[in-house]
Amino acid sequence: MVAEAHDLVKTFGAFRALDGLDLAVGAGEVHGFLGPNGAGKSTTIRILLGLMRASGGEARLFDADPWRDAAALHRRLAYVPGDVSLWPNLSGGETVDLLLRMRGADPRTSRRDELLERFSLDPTKKGRAYSKGNRQKVALVAAFAADAELLILDEPTSGLDPLMEQVFNDCVAEATDRGATVLLSSHILSEVERLADRVTIIREGRTVETGTLAALRHLHRSKVTATVAGSVPDLTVLAGVHDVAVEGPQVTCTVDPDGLAGVLAALTAAGVTALTSTPPSLEELFLDAYRTPAR
Amino acid sequence: MTSRTGAGLLLRQNLTRDRVIVPVWLLVLAALCLVSAAATPGLYDTDADRVRAAQAINDSPAIVALYGPILDVHSIGELSMTKMTVLYAVFGAILFVVLVRRHTRVEEESGRTELVGGTAVGRDAPLAAAVAEAVLVALLLGVLIALANIAGGLDPVGSIAFGLVWLGTGLVATGIAAVCCQLSASARTCAAAAAGVLGALFVLRAAGDAASATWLSSLSPFGWNTQARAWSGTRWWVLLLYPLLAGALVAVAQHLRGRRDVGAGLLAARPGPASGSPRLRDAVSLTLRVQGAALVVWTGAVAVLGLLFGVIAPGLDDLLDSGTAQELIDRLGGEMLAAVLSMIAIVVSCFAISVVSHAGSDETGGRAEVVLATATSRARWLAAALVVALVGSLWLLLVTGVTLWIGYATAGGPSPGDLVTAALGWSPAVWVVVGLAALLLALRGSWAVLGWAWPVLFLTLTIVGELVGFPDWLTGLSPYSHVPAMPAEPWRWAPEVGLTAVAAVLIAGAWLRFRERDIG
Repeated sequence: MVAEAHDLVKTFGAFRALDGLDLAVGAGEVHGFLGPNGAGKSTTIRILLGLMRASGGEARLFDADPWRDAAALHRRLAYVPGDVSLWPNLSGGETVDLLLRMRGADPRTSRRDELLERFSLDPTKKGRAYSKGNRQKVALVAAFAADAELLILDEPTSGLDPLMEQVFNDCVAEATDRGATVLLSSHILSEVERLADRVTIIREGRTVETGTLAALRHLHRSKVTATVAGSVPDLTVLAGVHDVAVEGPQVTCTVDPDGLAGVLAALTAAGVTALTSTPPSLEELFLDAYRTPAR
Repeated sequence: MTSRTGAGLLLRQNLTRDRVIVPVWLLVLAALCLVSAAATPGLYDTDADRVRAAQAINDSPAIVALYGPILDVHSIGELSMTKMTVLYAVFGAILFVVLVRRHTRVEEESGRTELVGGTAVGRDAPLAAAVAEAVLVALLLGVLIALANIAGGLDPVGSIAFGLVWLGTGLVATGIAAVCCQLSASARTCAAAAAGVLGALFVLRAAGDAASATWLSSLSPFGWNTQARAWSGTRWWVLLLYPLLAGALVAVAQHLRGRRDVGAGLLAARPGPASGSPRLRDAVSLTLRVQGAALVVWTGAVAVLGLLFGVIAPGLDDLLDSGTAQELIDRLGGEMLAAVLSMIAIVVSCFAISVVSHAGSDETGGRAEVVLATATSRARWLAAALVVALVGSLWLLLVTGVTLWIGYATAGGPSPGDLVTAALGWSPAVWVVVGLAALLLALRGSWAVLGWAWPVLFLTLTIVGELVGFPDWLTGLSPYSHVPAMPAEPWRWAPEVGLTAVAAVLIAGAWLRFRERDIG
């Protein structure tokens, strides 16, 4: 595991920001890290970076203690914070090069020039003059320019326009192609759906769901819409069927994976003429996880 | 909707945000006035004593440069307010620069003005609200100072005139700050500009007063503080000069504001280098890069102060003969150069504190997090700020000593002694203050800015302590009180080593805390 957290607890006074969070990021994967505002994503990342100390549980980074070995571990990773703040009187180019050098990389042999071009970022502007999106680009260029083993990106595209989001997606793909691991915290579900191999969804400091997108889909209901020739069968009596709505000859419901066979049998018996079944989108998984009250 | 719509709302918001800094600042100044007014007359029993003390002050160009002359040698009020008339009025003026800058340029730099500007708040409202607040605070300051003097037993009419002088100083400082905040997009550059103007006006007055060139000191509003003659034969018309100048400055600021965009400065922002210098590679070089311009400005400022006081110091040796005056004037040290050095030491401490408190704002702003997520360890990050603060203050004291010596020797001072050693002897005391500021930073990033309270606290302790006679252990809490008053006194190892050890312990304590705590 490149990064993992087990039963992680972090308290700020009486407030439990993390309450037994589990996270496991395997080598070479893009791991989506999802959760509503205040769920504890940034706190988890800060603990993994050794910026904060866990109140309980264990965090490991490259199989080492991120608190004790912070500086040494940081040579192997690049971090883009959610809210990038730059030095007001340093130019963007200076900031990129400084961050690269501070990680032990040489800007002259890095891909910084190519990336500045791709992100269409003017490196001569001073930090105070950049917009939010451009500040984010400065941090992204510094992160992608040298070959870090692990990229920790905290809502990295929140200020980027769609064109730049595409550049970002390409950069993530290139990074994984060369074997890098990416921990991507995000609110943008389509982005995670497109990029992530596995996701962890957290809520109120706890892990609600974790697994590959495929595995999570198996755990969740499909939405079934059918039109029948005969009378609409009473699906509510079947196990694993929810949210049944009948409108004339049309019936819609959501079905647990193991209830699907029964629903199909009932619909077939009723003479189904049209049938669509959509797998849950990540958006629904996400909202579903939010709605589930925390234990 | 006019361009000032919403100013009232902003004014209330400003006052809420300043509910701590303004009362503390005003009360400290008023307390100093009260103590000076109450304690000084007791030091001189007869009119003859007072005349001797006043003449001794006037005979010393260095004292006159620092505090301004005493125009009526019989006046109790003028003698009591020697330090307050000009020097402490400058400390009062700084508050107005802080307030105006904080509510105009800093807000623009942070983008909050844009946020506010998007609501039904007019373009000129932030400046109008900041100026309105400053005027209110200046009025309050004037009233408090007048009341403090009356309560201290000084002549009520003179006290009111003196309060008006301070009110006027506040108004002028407000105008200066308002103009300076239009100049650059950088809040730090604007602060440097305002500090530079105040410093230049002080030096202009100091030079004019020391050389008895009244016309020269009349060019500086600080010169008016003395020449208004608050305590006897008050020239009331001089008091009108302050609002006139302040009004003109605010009008200029308003005009300049109309000619620029939100967030922009009159001085166009120059593009920076497209790539970083290889020297900019770690936390120390980053701190030096960020603080470099400030360090150059500070170096220039202490060099000017050193040369100025060095040149006028040779005339002060006569003063040492008159016992009474020495008692009055040498409250911070034994002798004039030592007094000047003790003041510059406190000024230099402010540079060190600005470095440490900047590290705190780097943390609250999220920049420390970015640095600490690289291979930079916590130790290196903290060390970067502390090394620049400690070595920077040593450097500034060295510059002070050298320029003081150059000025003194040029003016034909008899035996300059070792002024460089005398200046450097203050560094352990400054380091203790750095250690105390570091301790605040180590406890919480957002507390680092409270480091500014240390020099104010120690200065107040010394001044009030000596006027009302605090016990030694209490005044001894100030690290500045332990430094031998060189060159009047010989170098002593014990306090220097002791203070250095205290500073080391404080810094070690700061590190022990800092390495354990959460960042951000």
